Amino acid sequence: MTDPGMTTTTSAPSLRLDNLTRRIGGRAIIDGVDLAVAPGECLALLGPSGCGKSSVLRLIAGLDTPDAGRILLEGDDITRKPPQRRQVALVFQSYALYPHLNVSRNLSLGMEIRGVPAQEREREVTSVLAMLQLTELAQRLPAELSGGQRQRVALARALLRHPRVFLLDEPMSNLDAQLREELRPQLRSILCAGSAPVIYVTHDQQEAMGIADRIAVLSNGRVQQCGTPKDLYLTPANMFVASFIGRPQINLLPQEDGTVLGIRPEHLVATDDSGIPVRVLNREWHGASQQLLVSSPQGDLRWTCDGAQPIGEGLRLGWDRRHEHHFLKTTGARC
Amino acid sequence: MKRFGRGGAALVVLLLLWSLGPMLWQLYTSLRTPEALLGDGAGPGGGWTLANYVQVLHGAPPFWRYLLNSTVVGAISTLLTLLLAIPCAYALSRRGGLLRLVVSGGLLAAAVFPYVLLFLALLQVARQFGLANNLLALCLPYAGLSLPLAVLLLQAAFAELPVELEENALLEGFTLMQRLRWILLPLMGPAVVSTGLLVFLFSWNEFPIALTWLSRSELLTLAPAMARIAGSSVFTVPYGAFAAATVLGSLPLLALLLLFQRQIVAGLTQGAIKG
Repeated sequence: MTDPGMTTTTSAPSLRLDNLTRRIGGRAIIDGVDLAVAPGECLALLGPSGCGKSSVLRLIAGLDTPDAGRILLEGDDITRKPPQRRQVALVFQSYALYPHLNVSRNLSLGMEIRGVPAQEREREVTSVLAMLQLTELAQRLPAELSGGQRQRVALARALLRHPRVFLLDEPMSNLDAQLREELRPQLRSILCAGSAPVIYVTHDQQEAMGIADRIAVLSNGRVQQCGTPKDLYLTPANMFVASFIGRPQINLLPQEDGTVLGIRPEHLVATDDSGIPVRVLNREWHGASQQLLVSSPQGDLRWTCDGAQPIGEGLRLGWDRRHEHHFLKTTGARC
Repeated sequence: MKRFGRGGAALVVLLLLWSLGPMLWQLYTSLRTPEALLGDGAGPGGGWTLANYVQVLHGAPPFWRYLLNSTVVGAISTLLTLLLAIPCAYALSRRGGLLRLVVSGGLLAAAVFPYVLLFLALLQVARQFGLANNLLALCLPYAGLSLPLAVLLLQAAFAELPVELEENALLEGFTLMQRLRWILLPLMGPAVVSTGLLVFLFSWNEFPIALTWLSRSELLTLAPAMARIAGSSVFTVPYGAFAAATVLGSLPLLALLLLFQRQIVAGLTQGAIKG
């Protein structure tokens, strides 16, 4: 590792997808996807349901075969390799724990099948159980665990594989909102501890922004934009990304000249006379902040402001020009 | 039980009598002397005997011989059926589309076909291939006739297992046989047991093929053997001996059902509740 030449090797992508395409019944559910993930990086695949994000995971895992394109893992072309020889771990949305086996057997059976000696199995299972605070639950059946505990067992099983890439398919979707927020930092620290890249599929933009180093937004089987959460928020490549990233949704105001003006609710400010006059339609007060729906001559606007902001008659809203986004009405692309 | 009230309880007793009545009657008959059965002589508390059992057990060949024959034929037919049906059912459950529809349709047609219509043709087969009076050869038609239903039942059980379980095992490096051995079959225990019992029951009770394929008395299975006991005398009907044979013939089945009770109930209600 002291060899300076090593730095270039480690920064090269660990996993690369080249023009990956999958058609089902003549329709491309994945349409020329190019992505690169660096060692130790966590990439979120974000998109609405049916956008093809889970299908990308299945192609990387080898549970499905692409119609075109290549998958390169550490420089080696695994596009046609059988799944058991790819050294890829996939955490399923349902966790897929073996229901008839207790926690420790769920963890050790795979290693036994792969011929790991009994002593080593024992040692590894014990250490991963301790790491994920599962030691007490080792003898329980999956049915006797809570959702969060099942998720940790599924993670533990994936960790024991020592995979070359971790794939996670909506690992939080079966958990309630509070637990999800609690688990996010924990999940992040476990996943990012190793050098294997992580691909994390989710439809929740908040979760993606909280966990991932970079986010690829998918729609209709295509990558709409790939970048850091900040990139996606500050310079969305098109209207789809602009409305998918950021809550409440960005305000999109059609203009006379065939463009659409985008302005985020949090960038609207109350002004004196220069702004546009608005009338409050709905107000949700959250304490630190408040969210309003107001009507204006340009259409209805979502507005987020400080909880202390007084809302009275004759309200006018304005914004800083720097916060404007412009998109083409026809293609939705940024202009 | 309380919810059903008195009317419900009465109904349950009625149903039990309806289904158990004939069996209790056989049990009673098997323990009575012929005189007591025909209504003459025996005073209160009299007319009970074990002679029917002694007669049946000391027949030539003794009754346990038929029990053994039926057990061997039943066990081998069941094993053979399961051995062939499990891989077929697995493959079928993992195929989509037209092939699965066509094969399932064919299997269903074969399963509902009244096999009694086949026994003359099967007799020709037995003659042609020298399979007559060969006890183990009887397993061939039994397994063949049981296969369609067994494949259909097991296929439905395979299809109910979440596909992610197998996919995860695949990613973990399990081979096909390892996936079946460690993941799929342990989860299908109830379905396999129920299917196996159906096959065993069929071969235990099967009459026309056994009657025509076997003639040497030491090779007979239970059903034709009992028919022989019933028709052994021109002058009387040996009610007592026949009843004793029926009771003895049901005991192994009863034991089997008790042994697998839990799996059978689980198998019958499989799919009713999502785990």
